[in-house]
Amino acid sequence: MSEAVVAGQRSVRPSVQPGTVAKYVFVDSPELTAADLALRAYEIAPAVQIKETCFGLVITGLEAEVDRLVIELRNLDPDRIFVKDRGFPPGDERRCRANLGGARPGFYGHENEMKLVRYISSGLRALRDPKKADLLRAKPKKQDEPLSPERLQEIIEES
Amino acid sequence: MAKVFIYPGTSLILSDLVARFGHRPLGAALAVREKVQTPGLDSPPLQITPEDPKKGLRYAAVEVPSGVRGRMALYGPQIEEADAGIIVRDADLAFGCMGCARTNELVRFLLHRREIPLLELTYPRSDEEGVRFVAAIKEFLAGLAGGETA
Amino acid sequence: MSPPVRIALLGCGAEYSGVMPEIYEAARQVEAEVFYPDVTLADVKAAGKSFGLDVHSADLKLMIARAEALVAGRTEADAVFIATCFRCAEAAIVRNELRRYIHEGSRLPVVSYSFTERTTSGTLLTRMEALVTIARRRALLARERQEGITLGLDSGSATTKAVIMKENEVIGTGWRPTTQVQQSADEVIALALEESGIRRSEIEATGVTGYGRFLLGNSIGADLIQEELTVNSKGAVYLADRQHGFATVIDIGGMDNKAITVQDGIPGVFTMGGICAGASGRFLEMTAKRLGIDITELGPLAMKGMGKNVPMNSYCIVFGTQSLVNALAAGNSPEDVAAAACHSVAEQVYEQQLQEVDIREPVIMVGGTSLISGLVHAMGELLQTEIVVPRYSQFIGAVGSALLASGYIRKE
Repeated sequence: MSEAVVAGQRSVRPSVQPGTVAKYVFVDSPELTAADLALRAYEIAPAVQIKETCFGLVITGLEAEVDRLVIELRNLDPDRIFVKDRGFPPGDERRCRANLGGARPGFYGHENEMKLVRYISSGLRALRDPKKADLLRAKPKKQDEPLSPERLQEIIEES
Repeated sequence: MAKVFIYPGTSLILSDLVARFGHRPLGAALAVREKVQTPGLDSPPLQITPEDPKKGLRYAAVEVPSGVRGRMALYGPQIEEADAGIIVRDADLAFGCMGCARTNELVRFLLHRREIPLLELTYPRSDEEGVRFVAAIKEFLAGLAGGETA
Repeated sequence: MSPPVRIALLGCGAEYSGVMPEIYEAARQVEAEVFYPDVTLADVKAAGKSFGLDVHSADLKLMIARAEALVAGRTEADAVFIATCFRCAEAAIVRNELRRYIHEGSRLPVVSYSFTERTTSGTLLTRMEALVTIARRRALLARERQEGITLGLDSGSATTKAVIMKENEVIGTGWRPTTQVQQSADEVIALALEESGIRRSEIEATGVTGYGRFLLGNSIGADLIQEELTVNSKGAVYLADRQHGFATVIDIGGMDNKAITVQDGIPGVFTMGGICAGASGRFLEMTAKRLGIDITELGPLAMKGMGKNVPMNSYCIVFGTQSLVNALAAGNSPEDVAAAACHSVAEQVYEQQLQEVDIREPVIMVGGTSLISGLVHAMGELLQTEIVVPRYSQFIGAVGSALLASGYIRKE
């Protein structure tokens, strides 16, 4: 984390230069923790900056390096690792929780989607099991059909 | 590789799936990165300056709040650039760049007006819905020029 | 050095309007720190239901959750700054309701503001400074009696005022249109000294407020340099003898207006407006000029007229004045035109400023415009209350400064 400064101090300068990127690598797996992911990332690409976050890692570096690392990390658990670009470098004082007092708005959005990624994992797994996928996709989506007058009549008569 | 505008622009799920299936997701992160990496700007936290809401006048009139126009300065050029779009309709808990309902209405409208291929769906709330969600996105993306079939 | 005053920011749209640096800069200038109250996603999800306002924009939901955290005491703060985009109806509803909710549920001072991309730190400075004053100087603001011999100076945008007070009495006053800040101040001090029969060397403490406060405060070595929101509200309740309980202070100035809900002499909610000259004393000056009368004659003239006889198409100082001119040409009486002008200013202040505070009786009007009886009458009609205009109301900032400055007299 960068040194603490008063939020919004004008001394802030972009610390990531054009050509470098930051990406989130989030994991939602009972077998793989963010710490495991970090360890593996250091082994694969020691030159890339790696920071653990609430849901996984932020990796920062030259685009090609970061992309190579992302591919390797994704292979550890392809269905349960999720990757997204990040606008800010990690620990940037403009976005750092330590300076803002509270979480930046994007954190809540991530928290919300991280509750749903297990369904995405199911979807990704199903892609490799065409039978299951076809079966599930064939099922009509459950909908609350309006009650027909005939059915209503039946219910009344049954009761 | 097609440029696919994702809605919500901050979505981890959409960003991941679009890139995973071989396309380039356009959303908040890329727009903010461009701002953050522009030398000479000194307007923390997002490096959005009062000039941005003025640039947003291209997409919304002056009586539209500055926060809408500032956000449109991020998204407007991406919408113009996009080859396709994916919209999650029930993205009610997307904050910051997607935290303004009025901006979001305008973003969805402009996407529709572009007449590019659009896929609209809702967030999955079960494994079954997850399967349909992922399959629909994969199928949609595979139909775009330059997509991967894997 | 004392720790910075922590101002909780409840905002929507500021980061995307390019005004965050201005908010940070205004806070930095008054040694305050702006922060976001920390909440969880569960708090945000619950906020719509618990607060009862189910808005569509997620950032407004976040604002509500943060306000709830402040009122419940889960997050500590010294003051609250609510800022949302100008012209956003959804945000305006949230801004007003949160302002009321925080005021009723906590003792935190609150200021709300709707910004555009043109908002600067200078505009926000007085508001931030007032929040800091309230947070840091509660003991000073508790003062109810003036002691010793003190000088109060109010360097306003239109006029400069001075008073000299001795043992809880005003004994000398001075008033001049502001030309050059220092020169006008020197003149009014001389006038006040002359009227009071006091020598400059006898003054034990000095307080300065108004636009020119920093310049004058340094040049005359003032003991107290304080923004006009806290000074004027303190001066108002002191002069009106309403130092305990609630009151509302309205000050329609030459360049901006202040509306302040006061509790026990300390501002709880306040707002300042300074975008439209049509809601300022300037509009009435223009009207008086057009009617060929002195500004002091406008109020009594308006009291004899019926404002509603004059159709006004706009509050604008240009187009509204044009309506008045047209009315004169169409045969309306100067009395009716004067009354319409007073109603126009009062109504715009009512619509734009008074909606941002809680109107609690008594309503006290102060500042130079409070001497224009027609304006006070028009405001009283709009608020359906009898407005209190205390003696020396036109010297409000100077009296408040002199009162508060006596806290700086060194006891032998």
